[in-house]
Amino acid sequence: MRVEPFDTQRHMIFSRRAALFSGGTVLLFSGVGFRLYQLQVADHEQYRALADDNRFNQRVIVPLRGEIYDRFGVPLATNRQNFRVLLIPEETDSVAQSLKQLEQFLPLTDAQKERALTEAKRKRAFTPLEIANNLTWDQFARINFELPNFPGLHSEVGDTRSYPWNEATAFVVGYVGAPSERDLQSEADEENKRLFRQPGFRLGRAGLERTHDTKLRGKAGSTTVQVNAHGRVIEEYPHEADKPAQGEALGLTIDAELQTEAMRILAEPLLDPAGEELPETVSGSAIVMDVETGDIIVMASVPAFDPNEFNVGVTQSRWKEFNESPYKPLINKSLSGVYPPGSTFKLVTAIAAQEAGISQNFRVSCTGKIWFGNRFFNCWKEKGHGSVDMKGSIKHSCDVYYWTLAQQLDIDLIADVANRLGLGQTYDLGIGSQQNGIVPSREWKQRYFRSNPAQQSWFPGDTLSAAIGQGYVTSTPLQLAVMASRIASGRQVTPRIVRINNGGIVPTRRADGLLIEQEHLALVRSGMDAVVNEWGTASRSRLENPEWRLAGKTGTSQVMRLQMDPETGKRIKNEELPWEQRDHALFVSFAPFANPRYACAVVVEHGIGGSRTAGPKSRDIMRAVLTKDPARQRAFDPSRDKPVKLADLGKTGGGMK
Amino acid sequence: MNTLLMPGGRYGVRARFASLNWWLIFVLSVIAAIGVATLYSVADGNWEPWAKTHAFRYALALTILIGVGLTPLRFWLSLSYPAYFGTLVLLLAVPVIGEMSGGARRWIDLGGFQLQPSEMMKIALIMALARYYHGLEFKNVSNPLYLFPPLAMIAVPVGLVFLQPDLGTALLIAATGLAVILLSGLSWRVTTLGAILAAFGAVAAIRLDILKAYQIKRITAFLDPSSDPLGQGYHLAQSKIAIGSGGVSGKGFMGGTQSQLDFLPEMQTDFIFTIFGEEFGLIGAFGLLGLYLTVFLIGANIAMRAKSHFGRLMSMGVSVGFVMYVLVNTGMVMGLAPVVGVPLPLVSYGGTVMLTIMGGFGLVMSTWVCRNQDTLRTSTSYYGKIDQ
Repeated sequence: MRVEPFDTQRHMIFSRRAALFSGGTVLLFSGVGFRLYQLQVADHEQYRALADDNRFNQRVIVPLRGEIYDRFGVPLATNRQNFRVLLIPEETDSVAQSLKQLEQFLPLTDAQKERALTEAKRKRAFTPLEIANNLTWDQFARINFELPNFPGLHSEVGDTRSYPWNEATAFVVGYVGAPSERDLQSEADEENKRLFRQPGFRLGRAGLERTHDTKLRGKAGSTTVQVNAHGRVIEEYPHEADKPAQGEALGLTIDAELQTEAMRILAEPLLDPAGEELPETVSGSAIVMDVETGDIIVMASVPAFDPNEFNVGVTQSRWKEFNESPYKPLINKSLSGVYPPGSTFKLVTAIAAQEAGISQNFRVSCTGKIWFGNRFFNCWKEKGHGSVDMKGSIKHSCDVYYWTLAQQLDIDLIADVANRLGLGQTYDLGIGSQQNGIVPSREWKQRYFRSNPAQQSWFPGDTLSAAIGQGYVTSTPLQLAVMASRIASGRQVTPRIVRINNGGIVPTRRADGLLIEQEHLALVRSGMDAVVNEWGTASRSRLENPEWRLAGKTGTSQVMRLQMDPETGKRIKNEELPWEQRDHALFVSFAPFANPRYACAVVVEHGIGGSRTAGPKSRDIMRAVLTKDPARQRAFDPSRDKPVKLADLGKTGGGMK
Repeated sequence: MNTLLMPGGRYGVRARFASLNWWLIFVLSVIAAIGVATLYSVADGNWEPWAKTHAFRYALALTILIGVGLTPLRFWLSLSYPAYFGTLVLLLAVPVIGEMSGGARRWIDLGGFQLQPSEMMKIALIMALARYYHGLEFKNVSNPLYLFPPLAMIAVPVGLVFLQPDLGTALLIAATGLAVILLSGLSWRVTTLGAILAAFGAVAAIRLDILKAYQIKRITAFLDPSSDPLGQGYHLAQSKIAIGSGGVSGKGFMGGTQSQLDFLPEMQTDFIFTIFGEEFGLIGAFGLLGLYLTVFLIGANIAMRAKSHFGRLMSMGVSVGFVMYVLVNTGMVMGLAPVVGVPLPLVSYGGTVMLTIMGGFGLVMSTWVCRNQDTLRTSTSYYGKIDQ
């Protein structure tokens, strides 16, 4: 072996350095080991919690919405099964291809296909796409049959809001809709926000659904799921779930059957004098109240919409159609329609006159017109009524009589009586957007014309207009029904629509007496009886059963000034004018006359005449109400009764027609 | 005639085979087996797509190690410079014919086999430097004049790799090269001077924007992981959660929630230590680190016992390069070092790295087999001088 002397020195140095490197390496490994100790022993708990945070997710379970019943426990808003078909993109070869295949046994609209394709691009491939919902049972059965040979296709049964009475109860219950981006932003509560984001969740959008939304909504449940980094659920733990609680039920005073009947009667086409049907859609409102309790039994408004359509989501064009219709199908005319009360207001003026000391026997000779200020005021009957007393003035609705009274009456007294009878105010029904209407007085006029001092003082001519329910006076159908109820019962009846709330029946209290002399009310009531039963203005509204004896008052309120034909100089007949220029028709009534129980107000927009259109509709509605007599039947009590099953009423569960 | 079968020195092939260091092979194989098991777990209990390939690759790489180990050391000595320059040519070719991957050009596609010249350079550089110092008289080692060739040998490939751009590999190559220079006995005075100059250079590099935005980002994310939770810092945060949640005994084989639920990206490559740490805990991680340290110590032992300076420097260089992988990788996944893309040797999935490492240990093995050969006849001049 050869020795390399020069190698000894560098070998020595190398060995030293190599030992140094080895030592350094061992040191560095100790550093890594210490770091492992830090992570896996010292901070282990913290990292374990973080790992659990990563993999466990809380899933929100949407609660069932509380049901809404009518006074006999018939569901007005309920939940029904919703058959949906879903597609999971990652399980298919191509979404477009699958849609084409699906179309062979399920008709799809272009909008549905387009939405599915855009969502497929936006969402992760394992997120199910909702292709169609609200399938019929037949369609759903067909889909389920096809499932095995259709990769990626899934069927699902969810719950969705259902309104079995469709249009009939649209304005009573309102409707629900999916929360919008704005709802999400305005919601401060994080848990609610998460609930809002659930695909099946619906928010009350109108009517009672909206005002009682938080109660009806219920309490969301939650369940823990294990997810991976992409959010895909790996495992569920159903036993640890926090169960959702259904929302509270709401019971109403409405009678679903009578409500539906009233909607039908109200929507019947109007007839011209020859008995031919007029082409226009009927637009109007009808309210029936229990004069003892104030329970609203019927609250009808036509035309209406199908709330089920809103639950699913209305299209832009449908929304436009609703909004542009002159008949305003989205507006609840019972609460938000304001109309001059016309001759129905004469009941107020008659009471005010008696309170001013004018005798019931005060007579006026009507010649068909009266000179006041600088012009003639024309009675609705051109030839005049001859000599009429106060009762006769109601029976014949003589304008001249009230113009004569008006010259002796103070407007503030009339306003006071109107307020006592329930006009000019809103009621706490729990449904939004009620209109106030106007009961004019000196103070009101000053306030109303505050920017126009010349108009602020009250003119005698204003009283003349007000006395017959024209001019500034306006009221809603609900207010007119309250007025009729108060005249009929002599009590300060206030309307209500919610009977069962917070799990119990809301107690009724016998209303206080009205601050009006019984004698004065009696005259008005007998005048209303004469209108119907003594060949007054609404004799065709008489009910055949003498026990029911309907008493009422017609009203025809001008929308435009009286129009004269420039050639003949005669009045133009109302039905010859365009629809929107025709007079509104009104009728307030109560029955039975001897022992009043129900009051009714009907307004037919541009319905030509109270006696011709509103009267007969009131008669038909009241006939149905009196036949059933719901106020005297035992109402639904959630502690004792079971809700009525829709199937027992021969209904299949409603929903989209 | 096949070089492998040529009789080398006083030993025949059969005798050399018998004198292989079986401990080294055993420990390396245990580490590779851990790699196979971990890759099996990463793939949710599947041999595809990684575990099977990894096992086959190891078998091939082990064959190469033994083959290299049986080849006489002097053959490798004579191959040092050609290997270095050959690899340098490949490295130069990368920008021209290389494959783009993740914004960098690092690969050469050799008909189905992807070659990463920057990995091969780690070994080639060690060989070339060992060869250089093998032939250099000790008195010249600390002479600045003789320092320039090795520095240039380091700087050229480091610069090329840096431009690919692959900062991590470039730094590892530089560090390994400098380690060999230190091992060769460079005086501490010159070393200190060089370190000061290097520090100035680093500051200048940052000032002159030579580092790319993403490279700076990696370093800042390392310093403050919460600064970009879904970027580089996300990997790191999730990786720490995985290791930390493993605890002392781990979550059990295939039981790692972080890894099985895809919270960790690129688990089969650079972040594989996290799944191992999560599933086998502190005990498993210490065990694996122990195996790595054992490999290093076997390598260091071989280096110190070798009679040839070439063998010593090369064996120690390979061993130091090997632990640098381990330290940078484990440090990186535990937040001790920036995320620079360094695999965990023999456990991470990747062909070139495995071949490089096993080839490197093949050279170590050859040093072991020829540990008693002090003279390696080459045409170097000083042999003549001594003989006179």
